[in-house]
Amino acid sequence: MIEQLPVLLVVLPIVGGSIPLVASLVSDRAGWPVATLTLVGQAGLAGLLAWTVSASGTVSYAVGGFAAPYGIELVVDGLSGAVALLVAVVSLGVLAYARQAGPHSNAFYGLYLLLVAGLTGMTVTGDVFNLYVFLEITGLAAYGLVASGRDASAAVAALKYLIIGTVGASLYLLGVGYLLAATGTLNMADLASKLGEMAAYDSTLVLTAFGLMIGGLTVKVALFPLHTWQPDAYANAPDTVSAFISALVSTVSAYALARLLFSVFTVEFLAAVPVARWALVGLACVSIIAGSALAVSQDSVQRMLAYSSVSQFGLVIAGFAIATPLAVVGATVHLLGHAVMKGGLFAATGVIERKTGATTVNGYAGMGSRVPLSAFSFAVLSLAMVGVPPAVGFVGKWYIVLGAVNAENWPVVAVLLASTLLTLAYFARLVERLYFAEATIHSEETPAEAPVTDGSGQAVSFGMIAVVVVAAALAVALTAAVPAFEQVLRDTLLPILNQ
Amino acid sequence: MSSDERTGLYVESTIIMTTVRVVSPFVLTFALFVMFHGANSPGGGFQGGVIAGSVVMMLAFAYGIDAARDWLDVRVVAALASGGVLTFAAIGLGTMLLGGNFLEYHLYEQFISHVVAYAIELVELAIGGIVASVAIGLFFLLAAGFGHAVDSPEDES
Repeated sequence: MIEQLPVLLVVLPIVGGSIPLVASLVSDRAGWPVATLTLVGQAGLAGLLAWTVSASGTVSYAVGGFAAPYGIELVVDGLSGAVALLVAVVSLGVLAYARQAGPHSNAFYGLYLLLVAGLTGMTVTGDVFNLYVFLEITGLAAYGLVASGRDASAAVAALKYLIIGTVGASLYLLGVGYLLAATGTLNMADLASKLGEMAAYDSTLVLTAFGLMIGGLTVKVALFPLHTWQPDAYANAPDTVSAFISALVSTVSAYALARLLFSVFTVEFLAAVPVARWALVGLACVSIIAGSALAVSQDSVQRMLAYSSVSQFGLVIAGFAIATPLAVVGATVHLLGHAVMKGGLFAATGVIERKTGATTVNGYAGMGSRVPLSAFSFAVLSLAMVGVPPAVGFVGKWYIVLGAVNAENWPVVAVLLASTLLTLAYFARLVERLYFAEATIHSEETPAEAPVTDGSGQAVSFGMIAVVVVAAALAVALTAAVPAFEQVLRDTLLPILNQ
Repeated sequence: MSSDERTGLYVESTIIMTTVRVVSPFVLTFALFVMFHGANSPGGGFQGGVIAGSVVMMLAFAYGIDAARDWLDVRVVAALASGGVLTFAAIGLGTMLLGGNFLEYHLYEQFISHVVAYAIELVELAIGGIVASVAIGLFFLLAAGFGHAVDSPEDES
């Protein structure tokens, strides 16, 4: 049973995702219970798998009994086990939010489970072509979810996302083709041993493959010049979808980028080709600065949060590109912590909008007393994102900075420290509005005037607020889990990083 | 777009109706041929499914989209899509019950000889069903137009 877990994690949400379609012949509201049952099972399996991996090391699985490198291999180590668990838990948590916030259609929950399947598949696969397949499943499901908003702007945002996302995935596929031409294999572990041996690290072929694959994934991660799909998609999708995809889609893409960096191209490649490392670090630094600057200049809170993601993912990718164990642990902690914090922040904006109609930075003025619990959670999550101890955002950033200092990479250290100040600039402005400014929206004029973004009602349920509060609590509590998690990560990462 | 305008696009033509009636069985047979050849030659469920889906589109062109929509049972389309996924999953999970890995076909050999080929054909048929039903569904959704979705916001899914 234990050894079958990796494939069950992918099959379960696919099977669950096909049921709402048939169930719509019986009931229009069957999607939510089916999705909840499936994801409770998924979270259980992912927890069991993560526990197995942390206790007894890497689990690998040959699909169809075809041995790697010819067959498709699924590999779960400490890093991918943690991401798979994050995907299962966050998607289950967002369901509690979706119960009231909608959309309620069965088709929506079919897509929702399909996205979970795609994300889990990207996490557990050990094969670069298989990764492409799951990247496409993830992409298509995410486009569909963004388009499930009622406004025409949601459809436009989804179309933009579709075009840019498909270009990104195609670049990645092209890079896979070059790697196959260079080595004749698609298995990640096999590629790692053959690259450098069959094709020199600094050969044009390998460099092109690196550029295309990493470039394709940075589109999905939404680093600065390639982020243009992301603010529209996050801001125009229904609140449930914003919380879900802002927490997971870019996160898993960044995980895939790290997996390629360490398990396919390996740190020897980064050492042999300094220009590749500098290009990636440079891109990450530009993304940190530009994302923060754009976030400061936004009026809409959701767009501000979206640009904040551009900046935070720059931080994560910078940590991965520095590639010392400390920096990679920091980047992973920040990657997982960011997922919880950003998902919680988007969920909080949904609650605040429904209760008060406030969507802009100015609209948030004085809302601290109108929606105390959500506003307080929002403030906690904001400060956690800035990196105020003891929140998990602090631990991640601290490790990344320490890693950069140890690597004596001073320009990056400067950018990382500046980024914390910039993050403070846009979040402090919001928190100040929430608690210390005169209200611009008054209670008597709001409920009827509040814009309906997805036509699914304005009521706020207990589940929606619970999701926001739990996310805020986790943003602080996860810090306590970091030492244990760090140990598991080090066991996984040290062999990969050759240290 | 109102339904009057939409039906206005349809022109009843004896030539088209007769041709479609004659050609349809052959197209459907060709679709099955392509699906069954997926295992060891060019073809497969994806291509075959699209060809099978095109039969319904031909019927819609010949007899009108609304007539085709009424004629087609939505339960069949939903069952094809979900049933395809569930068939694929069942074949894969079945081998796990027999003690092997996911989709380890040859474990069925103890029940039926040459089962590897049959199992792959069944998976191709399942994929064909999914693709055909999705192609048909997309066609009718596009034909309905965006106006349909705006006119009845309460009509979800």
